[in-house]
Amino acid sequence: MNDARALTIPLDSIAACFEGIVPASVCSCSREGLPNVTYLSIVHRLDERHVGLSFQFFNKTRKNTYENPRVQMIVVRPGSAEQFRLDLKYLRTETDGPAFDRMRARLDAVASQTGMSRVFKLRGVDVYEVLDCRPVNEESRSEILPQAESMRELEAFTERLSACEGLDALLSTALEALADLFGHRHSFVMFPDEEGTRLYTGASYGFDPSGVGSEVVVGEGMLGLAAERRSVVRVTNIALDRLIARAVRSGVERRGERDILEKEIALPGLPEVASQLVLPLLSRNKLLGVLCLQSAETGRFLETDERVMQIVARHLAASMANTMATDPDEPRVAALPSSPEPRAASQAAIKHYRSDDSIFIDDTYLTKGIPGRLFWKLLQAFVATGRAAFTNKEIRLDASMGLPDIKDNLETRLILLRRRLDERCEFIRLIPAGRGRLHLDVHRSLTLEELP
Amino acid sequence: MLGTRDSELVPELVRAWGPRVSRDRTSVSLCVARAVSARTLGNLEDNGRMAATFASPGNSTAIQIWGRCIETGPARRLDLEAVEAHRDAFVELNKGLGVPRAFIEALWQRELAGSEQMVTVRFVAEQIFNQTPGPDAGSPL
Repeated sequence: MNDARALTIPLDSIAACFEGIVPASVCSCSREGLPNVTYLSIVHRLDERHVGLSFQFFNKTRKNTYENPRVQMIVVRPGSAEQFRLDLKYLRTETDGPAFDRMRARLDAVASQTGMSRVFKLRGVDVYEVLDCRPVNEESRSEILPQAESMRELEAFTERLSACEGLDALLSTALEALADLFGHRHSFVMFPDEEGTRLYTGASYGFDPSGVGSEVVVGEGMLGLAAERRSVVRVTNIALDRLIARAVRSGVERRGERDILEKEIALPGLPEVASQLVLPLLSRNKLLGVLCLQSAETGRFLETDERVMQIVARHLAASMANTMATDPDEPRVAALPSSPEPRAASQAAIKHYRSDDSIFIDDTYLTKGIPGRLFWKLLQAFVATGRAAFTNKEIRLDASMGLPDIKDNLETRLILLRRRLDERCEFIRLIPAGRGRLHLDVHRSLTLEELP
Repeated sequence: MLGTRDSELVPELVRAWGPRVSRDRTSVSLCVARAVSARTLGNLEDNGRMAATFASPGNSTAIQIWGRCIETGPARRLDLEAVEAHRDAFVELNKGLGVPRAFIEALWQRELAGSEQMVTVRFVAEQIFNQTPGPDAGSPL
């Protein structure tokens, strides 16, 4: 019979213990009375009376719990270093459902990032009933701090976004607001390409260099998997995940099973990233991109942050969809700064490689793919006729551009191109001139060369 | 971590410090804070069965020893020196992983609230296992 008595310590008051920041440990006991102790990288809190353990490998803990369902864990609270004993009873193993999906998304993302996707496979979630949760030492209880309220910040965030016109301004404002209002000082947004096979960074905040234009493959690594599965991926201790993955990797190598290992993938962003939260940007079930928050601090993004950032991501995605759907073909801003005459003395050579549409300015790589093709078209018109004003509509309708049906994505390509130019080239700028209009601002004489 | 169980096979865990192999290599000793180990010591008194897992935070390598307790008692000078040495090494290893010294210190200081006393648990090792995460975890050494 279930003991309905309240837990000595409610699980939600020690939620940070279930974030995988500090390793936990578990003791089970066989039918014959032999205890067994192992470490756990993470214990998942499923609800107020249940916790879950990921089941990836068959081991003694699992064997014991089938024989004797009583188990004890010690979890440690990050920050205060308080330890809590959880007296548990094994109930069942789940192989589907929301808890399974959430844990699988996280595990697969870490596995993919560390090249272990054929080794780390979630077979199930072992669900335990929590009979009691108590401090290891009653004498050392510390005050439990109330969780932060974020309503005010959310209100301010939506207000700032509602004042934005155009996708570029929307993204810049959103990322800046994440830093100002929520303290998330390193963030970027990646967009899917036409084929949906890659993501590329279109906007970033708090990185130097910005990383705009960097790519990842959809389905690979934490970012690629969040996009493919359209699910949130949150990791609180990347260093610990990597350590464990490397220990497992050595074991696999020792067994001579090197062929089931893949390459570890470098994470874009902070060199010392310790915590990461990746949120899909979905509107009407369509993936518009992913929002990635990073921190060099272990345990920076907790469950509450994930909930708040889910609201942020949904609002941002809805605003993006709205901006992309409004007809951008009606110019609203008439006045454009006129380009000063290019100084003939300073010349620049621009090369376009047809094979991948890559663009090099004075032998420095700028961009490739559709942004490359777009830019080349604009430059050709500029050099041939001196024309500097363009509209989105003509670009979209220009059959010679050979663009796929990218009405939604044209704006994201232009943002990428604009930001790459801002970062890599001092003498060409692409200025948004009101809805649906672009102005090419060139301050050198250009020579164009087309290559295979 | 030290695991024991009571007469009804209900397990109990406690963090242990300062492992030491006896000079004649026939037994191993560990120390636990008395304030957090009442049930552990009761279980050892009752049946002596125990498991101890040792892990290196630096690379996740770990071993587990299954054994039988032969003696418990107040920690002596050499035991306490081993505890100190273990804590220092633990702090150093964790420092390399970005875990501040204050956190590790709090971990053991909290165990000592109410009683500063450490108890030594001496046991005979019966089986040793590889406990490093991965496909070989649990294989005998």
